[in-house]
Amino acid sequence: MVKFKKRSMRKYLTLAKITFEEYLVYRLNFVLWRFRSFVSFLTLFFFWLAIYGSRSEFLGYQKSQMLAYIVGIAVLRSIVLGSRSVDLGGQIRSGELTKIVLRPLGIFSFWFSRDLVDKLLNIFFTFLELAIVLAIFKFPFWFPTRLETYIIFAFIVILATFLYFFLSFVISVLAFWTEEIWATRWLFGVIFLEFFAGAFFPIDVLPAWLQKIIYLTPFPYLVFYPLKIWLEQISGIEAVKAILICFGWLLLFWWLAKNLWQKGAKNYGAYGG
Amino acid sequence: MKIKNLKLKIGQISKLTRVWVMVSLRAAQSQLLTSWAVILFLIGKIVRFLLFFIFLFAVLGSAKNLAGYNPQQVILFFLVFNLVDISIQFLFRGVYQFRPLVVSGNYDLDLLKPLPSFFRPIFGWTDILDFFTLIPLWIYFLWFGFSQGIFKLGNFFLFLALFASSLVLGFAFHLIVCAVCVLTTEIDHLVWVYRDLTNMARFPTDIYQRGIRLILTFTIPVVILITVPAKALMGILSWQGVLGSFLISGLFLWFSLKFWHYALSQYSSASS
Repeated sequence: MVKFKKRSMRKYLTLAKITFEEYLVYRLNFVLWRFRSFVSFLTLFFFWLAIYGSRSEFLGYQKSQMLAYIVGIAVLRSIVLGSRSVDLGGQIRSGELTKIVLRPLGIFSFWFSRDLVDKLLNIFFTFLELAIVLAIFKFPFWFPTRLETYIIFAFIVILATFLYFFLSFVISVLAFWTEEIWATRWLFGVIFLEFFAGAFFPIDVLPAWLQKIIYLTPFPYLVFYPLKIWLEQISGIEAVKAILICFGWLLLFWWLAKNLWQKGAKNYGAYGG
Repeated sequence: MKIKNLKLKIGQISKLTRVWVMVSLRAAQSQLLTSWAVILFLIGKIVRFLLFFIFLFAVLGSAKNLAGYNPQQVILFFLVFNLVDISIQFLFRGVYQFRPLVVSGNYDLDLLKPLPSFFRPIFGWTDILDFFTLIPLWIYFLWFGFSQGIFKLGNFFLFLALFASSLVLGFAFHLIVCAVCVLTTEIDHLVWVYRDLTNMARFPTDIYQRGIRLILTFTIPVVILITVPAKALMGILSWQGVLGSFLISGLFLWFSLKFWHYALSQYSSASS
């Protein structure tokens, strides 16, 4: 049993190694990808610096908290939103999925292994970029004062990571039934995600009526609520409620991913494969 | 002789316009075949614009100014950014389809046609959805500007001239990207770097530090592309700024054409 598990682990480690090497095939693209992440971060960073000016508090956020939120967006984009499962939709449409299903690899384990490599690369370079910005600008940064905040934050980030994995998987798996997978991915996986997850700005700066709509979706539990916990703007019962709702969404999307995959794989025609 | 040359040039431009309209109609037909995708993309574009708009209103409602600009001026910057950005995306969408042409060798067939070599790479595809969003955007922009009393008619004509200059600059940059694609076959992230840097001009570029403003003026001149037309509209642009922006656009156009011809001289077909 132990030997079997070791062999299974070796398969996924090899897969992770291959995924890592893929990033370095087109080195210019790799460098430009990192440059793009850096530019997105700088745009938001300077915008909020300009808004705050000489203010110390604005829209319920201290200056150090808002800058921590912006840094937190960069970090959580790496940890939670860094993903390769977006490729699944294209592979279903092109027929390349056949290569993957013929291998002795679980489909969820396969994509999660690739996601982990993407996340690790993202985290490494994001921290490097943030270190450069911190060294140059030396802005005040918010750290939680209570130990339990760090634990609750870590826990909800882990839940958010899995929630995004299954959410992204569900969107990709729709490719079994529709050709317009890119449009679906772009609308739900990019536009709604970026804004409703709080990955551009905190959701609570928006009008109350719009906030109510956004809180009905799973997206705020990916970035916004983890960062609210980090900033200690929600704690205690509210934090527990956020974790439970996040877990509920995770279960729902896990169930959807499992069932949609089983249904789709049965009728998979491998057109073009 | 000069009149004959002028007539020839007008004839050529007229021919290219007819070809472009034909290519655009084919592109629109192809897009509208997948009606569900069209609806989703259109919803996405509208939602993105509206959410940013609501965000700016919400923040500026409390902040009252951004880098010395009042809320109406900041909204105007945002509208000009969208006008320039969407117009450039509408006209020069062919860039996103150029790499497959190069790696497959099919670009050879375009080089045989009696059209400029950059026609297919730059103008080979138009996005009809950008056209659908441009119309209400122009209407709202004109209504907003004149009703708020932010710009006057004289400034508006200067804005139109600088807007045309922005399109020329956008063309130049896309041509440079296509030239890089011919030399390296790597294009995707380069175009998106351009898009991300352009997004920095969504807000008045005065919010950035001097070093970053210099980069945004002289390397990828986002300031010339978006901030300068917006400032002209508000009547706060100096004559040196106007001349400088035309000069930089002209220089970029000259450089992009030279670089493109150099890239073509290095082009070897992948398979033909």
